[in-house]
Amino acid sequence: MEIIKTQSLIKDYLLGKVKVRALAGIELSIINGEFVAIMGPSGSGKSTLMHIIGCLDSPSAGEYYLDGDLVSKLPKSALAGIRNRKIGFVFQSFNLLPHLNVLKNVELPLMYSGLSARKRGEKASQILDSVGLSDRLKHKPNELSGGQRQRVAIARAIVNDPSILLADEPTGNLDSGAGGDILEIFNKLHKAGNTVIMVTHDRAVAERADRIIEIRDGMIHNGDLAN
Amino acid sequence: MAISLTESLQIGVNDILMRKVRSLITIFGIVLGVMCIMVVLAIIAGMNKSTMAWMQERGGTNKVEIERNWDYDFRGGGYASLTLAELNQVRGQIPEALAVGPVINSWGASLQYKGFSYSGQVLGVLPGHQRMESWYPGKGRFFSDIEVRENSNVIVLGATVAKELFKTEDPLGQSVMLSDQMLTVIGIMQEKIWESPGGGSFGGNALEYMNRQSFVPISTMMNKIEASSLIQSVQILAKSPEDALMLQEKLKLILLHIKKGKAVFRVSSAQETIQQMQQNSKIFSMIFIMIGMISLLVGGIVIMNIMLASIKERTREIGVRLAIGARRTDIFVQFMVQTVLITGLGGVFGIILGYLILDLVSGYLGMPMLAGPQMILVSLLVSVGVGLIFGIAPAVKASNLDPVMALRDE
Repeated sequence: MEIIKTQSLIKDYLLGKVKVRALAGIELSIINGEFVAIMGPSGSGKSTLMHIIGCLDSPSAGEYYLDGDLVSKLPKSALAGIRNRKIGFVFQSFNLLPHLNVLKNVELPLMYSGLSARKRGEKASQILDSVGLSDRLKHKPNELSGGQRQRVAIARAIVNDPSILLADEPTGNLDSGAGGDILEIFNKLHKAGNTVIMVTHDRAVAERADRIIEIRDGMIHNGDLAN
Repeated sequence: MAISLTESLQIGVNDILMRKVRSLITIFGIVLGVMCIMVVLAIIAGMNKSTMAWMQERGGTNKVEIERNWDYDFRGGGYASLTLAELNQVRGQIPEALAVGPVINSWGASLQYKGFSYSGQVLGVLPGHQRMESWYPGKGRFFSDIEVRENSNVIVLGATVAKELFKTEDPLGQSVMLSDQMLTVIGIMQEKIWESPGGGSFGGNALEYMNRQSFVPISTMMNKIEASSLIQSVQILAKSPEDALMLQEKLKLILLHIKKGKAVFRVSSAQETIQQMQQNSKIFSMIFIMIGMISLLVGGIVIMNIMLASIKERTREIGVRLAIGARRTDIFVQFMVQTVLITGLGGVFGIILGYLILDLVSGYLGMPMLAGPQMILVSLLVSVGVGLIFGIAPAVKASNLDPVMALRDE
């Protein structure tokens, strides 16, 4: 079953008074449980595509189905709930909240989905245990190494059981050892049945995925299911 | 499904604790404004209370008085006194009055007992005088209507008069000499005591002059002591403070008519005095409340700016929160709660500071100041209100951030 499907996805930006086409008709299908890497040079539109897939942005035209629902026509207010329940983000620069401890950072998505404080604590520490950080619950992010921080971010991304895990250059700020660990976690999550979508420009990293989709000039160049 | 208020409160408290110094500086204006307003309200409440207490002590708020008008130029003719006939004319025109009490004042009359003499004010009045002043004998009795009708030789002494003339002796039943009349002492008035504000510097009992008065039946005064004496002042009791004001206006016209257009009398009412005092305190309080308001306004603008700056600093955090599922309302409430917490905290500090100042000032002036729970409530509401007003712009700005842009922010 397709967890993600787009049809003629178009995104235009206004740069000053010039209209720039970032996405020029993307036809993308990703099947439930796949591990996919999206590659492309900077300016290719891969970030824009990721923002739309992650429901942070809406397309100018075309359709986007997430988990069978047409989300491209939803108002922005409805997208917050979808981001909360269906999407887990992992960023290159971790994006943990610096003044909250590890446990509180992981609890955040659960807070916004309205879970009680007690249940949040239980679920968050359980997830942190699964990424090997059960001894770091009360630490602040700046007391952790880069690899540990990214593991906290992954825990935060998956704590709400999202439909897709969306990672933007997840190893970009890590040395190869820590990066390897993170990729191994993605691999495990994939093996456990999660859909993982990873944006990267590093071919060695991308090779870890089942399938590589290459974007150029706002179009899929290579790697669509149809090919 | 927005996050609960408790959650937002927690976030707000965390944010404030994280930036303690900044938060403290931010609330300074609010502290000042709330303190100002609270202190002024307490002082006014205290002043109003002592004014009312003073009026009660002086016979209540239903009283109207007719006295000599000291501003009138008597070279223009006329006398500031009434004959019995004129008094009756006045009385006939104000049937709504509860009581009319004429007073004949004999200044510097000399009372004599066993070779001692006491020089003081002796007033010829009717028995109704007691009710007019809500002042009654503490020992013995006041004279009756029958004793007025019969020009009886009786006298009621003020507390100080009795003490100075009789020392340790019991004055009741003794005879004192006034002019050429022997008068039997039948009563001694209650002692009047009023510790004025700032007693230390102004000294003692503001009502001591009343303890130095003595009373004889008005008829005895007219017919036996000062043969041709006239009525110099009249006290009138109205049904209510409002009636007193109307009666006051009416009496002015009646007296002008009787005295052929000459304003030889001043007609005053307790109610009018209270209103004047309140009018005066209003100007005073307006100034301070203005200062308070300006402090609050400035404080509010400062908070708004600091919150706007703080949002700029925290753009990325807002982006992260949006990415993991915060709604715009969640972000709005988060910043709103934070602003209101800061101003509310300012309010609490302001109230504490206000209390300290009130304590200091009322101790210094010897004046009661009332800071009741309702004043604390007003101060708190005002400070929270400032937060609600000046928190809107930052909260709207934060909640309108575009998630993609916010995440890209360095």
